[in-house]
Amino acid sequence: MVTPEALLRAKVPGPETGIEVKKSICTICDPLTQCGLDAYVKDGVVIKVEGSSENPFNRGRLCAKGAATRQYLYHADRIKTPLRRTGPRGSGAFEPISWDVALDEIGRRANDAKRDFGPESVVFYAGYTKYFRPYLIRLAHAFGSPNYCSESSTCNMATAMAQKLVFGLPGAPDLMNTDCLLVWSSNPYYSGHGRAQMIDKKLAAGMKMIVVDPRRTPTTARSHIHLQPRPGTDGAVALAMAHVIIEENLYDREFVATHTRGFDEYRDYVRTFTPEKAESLSGVPAERIRDAARLFAHAKRACVQPSASPVVHHTNGVQNYRAIFMLVALTGNYDVVGGNLAEPPSYLYVSGKFVTREEEFENPVPVSSMPPRIGAEKYPVWMQVASPEAQAMFLPEQLRTGQPYPVKAMLGFGMNYRMWPDSEGFRQALEKLDFLAVTDIFMTDTARMADIVLPACASLERMELRAYGPGYAVLSQPVVEPLYESRSDVDMIFDLAKRLCPDDGLFARGYEACLDWILEPSGMTVAGLKNHPGGMAAPNPIRPKERKYADGAKTPSGKIEFVSSVLEQFADRPGIDPLPIYTPPRYSPEGDPAMAKEYPFILNTGSRLPMFIHSRVNHLSWTRNLRPTHPAVDLNPADAERLGVREGDDMTLSTPFGSIRVKANPTHMVLPGVAHMYHGWAGADVNSLFQGDYTDPISGFPGYKSALCRLEKVAEGR
Amino acid sequence: MPKTIILDPDKCVGCGACVVACQDQNDLFPEQGLPALRRIYQIEENRADSGDITYASAGCRHCEDSPCFVGCPTGAIYRDDVTGAVRIDRDRCIGCHSCALACPFGVPRYDSDDHLYKCDLCSDRVQAGLEPACVRVCPFEALRYEDANEVQDDKERHYLGALVHGTRGARDIR
Repeated sequence: MVTPEALLRAKVPGPETGIEVKKSICTICDPLTQCGLDAYVKDGVVIKVEGSSENPFNRGRLCAKGAATRQYLYHADRIKTPLRRTGPRGSGAFEPISWDVALDEIGRRANDAKRDFGPESVVFYAGYTKYFRPYLIRLAHAFGSPNYCSESSTCNMATAMAQKLVFGLPGAPDLMNTDCLLVWSSNPYYSGHGRAQMIDKKLAAGMKMIVVDPRRTPTTARSHIHLQPRPGTDGAVALAMAHVIIEENLYDREFVATHTRGFDEYRDYVRTFTPEKAESLSGVPAERIRDAARLFAHAKRACVQPSASPVVHHTNGVQNYRAIFMLVALTGNYDVVGGNLAEPPSYLYVSGKFVTREEEFENPVPVSSMPPRIGAEKYPVWMQVASPEAQAMFLPEQLRTGQPYPVKAMLGFGMNYRMWPDSEGFRQALEKLDFLAVTDIFMTDTARMADIVLPACASLERMELRAYGPGYAVLSQPVVEPLYESRSDVDMIFDLAKRLCPDDGLFARGYEACLDWILEPSGMTVAGLKNHPGGMAAPNPIRPKERKYADGAKTPSGKIEFVSSVLEQFADRPGIDPLPIYTPPRYSPEGDPAMAKEYPFILNTGSRLPMFIHSRVNHLSWTRNLRPTHPAVDLNPADAERLGVREGDDMTLSTPFGSIRVKANPTHMVLPGVAHMYHGWAGADVNSLFQGDYTDPISGFPGYKSALCRLEKVAEGR
Repeated sequence: MPKTIILDPDKCVGCGACVVACQDQNDLFPEQGLPALRRIYQIEENRADSGDITYASAGCRHCEDSPCFVGCPTGAIYRDDVTGAVRIDRDRCIGCHSCALACPFGVPRYDSDDHLYKCDLCSDRVQAGLEPACVRVCPFEALRYEDANEVQDDKERHYLGALVHGTRGARDIR
């Protein structure tokens, strides 16, 4: 018989212990589909978490990050009150102020900048998490600024752009109905276990899986064919696969003839791209490329599982991804069951099989009626194809030069300057701002640069709406009161709206009324969703129609485009070509042989580790202790032996632009000649070793996943 | 036969969710000198040309004939009558590390006072009808709380299924 004391110690919920299970979601990582979280609450305090069994994504399970929620929520570094800077930027000297004083100050400074320099001089930036984006976008646009921007300037947007350039509407892999899944540089066993659970089930039922990944991961271990290219050579592999599919007559001739544009030119280019040529560029054996092409093309239904950023974090990223998505077009697997299905998103980029008015809500004034966005001149394809936001990678240069117009004030929600290439240069450029406000949960190095810091709360302390693929929605409710004086970002935005756009009728009605307005076409309401704290099935789920392109694809030509009519407009610019031409990464053995002599390793940064997501849980002992040393570079054991280093030894990692000190972590996960370094470490910030303009000319995305570096052992005692 | 926590190394990806869920369940904060009761390992074949990678989650095996139990001079280690877990009475532990010497698997871990901390198979949770925390969290069902013979049955069925499927195309095994 278990005593009541033992039950309490074991945190068993029930009337005997007074422990309640309350429903929330985890947004420590934000892949847009969030894990359901069961918070065990006793006397207003979360004492344990588990995954919610009814949630269609995580089905009761969590990863190490989500399991560490309690350390995240109750961490000592949480910002407790609004703060005003009293010392130099970055010094960390602040004084506590009230919410009214803080919000009034932000409102006054933003309105002053608008009066003196125009609304475009005020930037509204959304980092992590993503739930408040629709409200921040409306705030920026209602204020009159075209310069809403976000971490989408380095994540996923370029993947969406590549798809839009080819298809018009991006297509998501229909995993449940496919026969062959081509996973291109994604490792959901680390980054999205809900997805990986589904892959496990499908593999057990006989699905074939091809994985392209420079690393050996749990995903590649489960694959039937693993292609392991050197980072940044994905395009070469994809073009060679297309070569095999066309030469061996395995493509969908009817689809290609009826629905595509530019096939002949594409075929002529691809004809030159033999698997042997791709082998010399990528290191992937030609025979294995043939095997993969045949498996993909012979499958009744096949699809590509893209990744958010690995393929597009290259100076040739969008072109590489276009070449990859063309394999879907070539085999007639676009917008069909079991292929890459084009489903319009319901809310926050995710299709939940319901319709909302999110886009209308976000754009009360069209961005096209405002001054050009930041990055408009340098990244014109972004301006045409990406969502209506600025390309934030250009912000440091605009801050430094004041061209084409000055940027004076910035509101950074969950912002981290280390996301930018030449991160230290961007930190210094932030000094040029007249005014910077930052919201965050924790006191970060970016928050230390701000004039006003606002304490945000975590997902367990707030309400947010999320859509789920199977036709499901969650409106999470706070499971504990916001800690200290923290508030949700959305509350801050609605209070700022009173100061920045007081005439906006929808904002004036408040958060819940706006949510109801957005949800109106879905048949769901805030009140109804509140009755289902763990979420509910969408009423009357939409069944998306297949082959929507038959009535005209959403490209300028109305066809699926092998030759891009958007890129044709900018073909005079370096690095932009209407065909998916392969060019090596700018800094690579092929791209810059002279640099490669001095810097012989290919540098790949930010490839996922299972216990981290950017720098969000670096400070938690539970997650941190899952990896033996920090910050560590992963290198092949043969390279480690050659350099005379063992696990934990000190090394320097250098590029022509700087150097950081790291620990050695030899592992067969990585190819010989490649160095994998995780990003976001204060004191060993690998993004500081990249130039600010080391970007893809089409998307503006930084080439974080292939550059050149040198690794050296640090002599003992130094 | 009592159930215990069993690892399927083919399913484990070394994500560490089990380690953290155990720490969350048992309030094991490393900064307070409290050791984790599970650990993850990445085991790499040491060959220059290949190097297959296997992952594993390790913790107490709760052996039927426990060497640590026998070796404890103060009787601090005992067996839970209901769950069969090898548990500890921390008031009796004198920090002599006999259990560390006795355990062939390298499981025992000590807090900053040098007293044994160990997995109790979430015995109190289990008796309340819940699973051990590490099993409950595992995204890939690599950790299961089962009767060892049933796990063997599954393994045998799976192996035979693969064999027969490969040679004769049959799939269902009853």
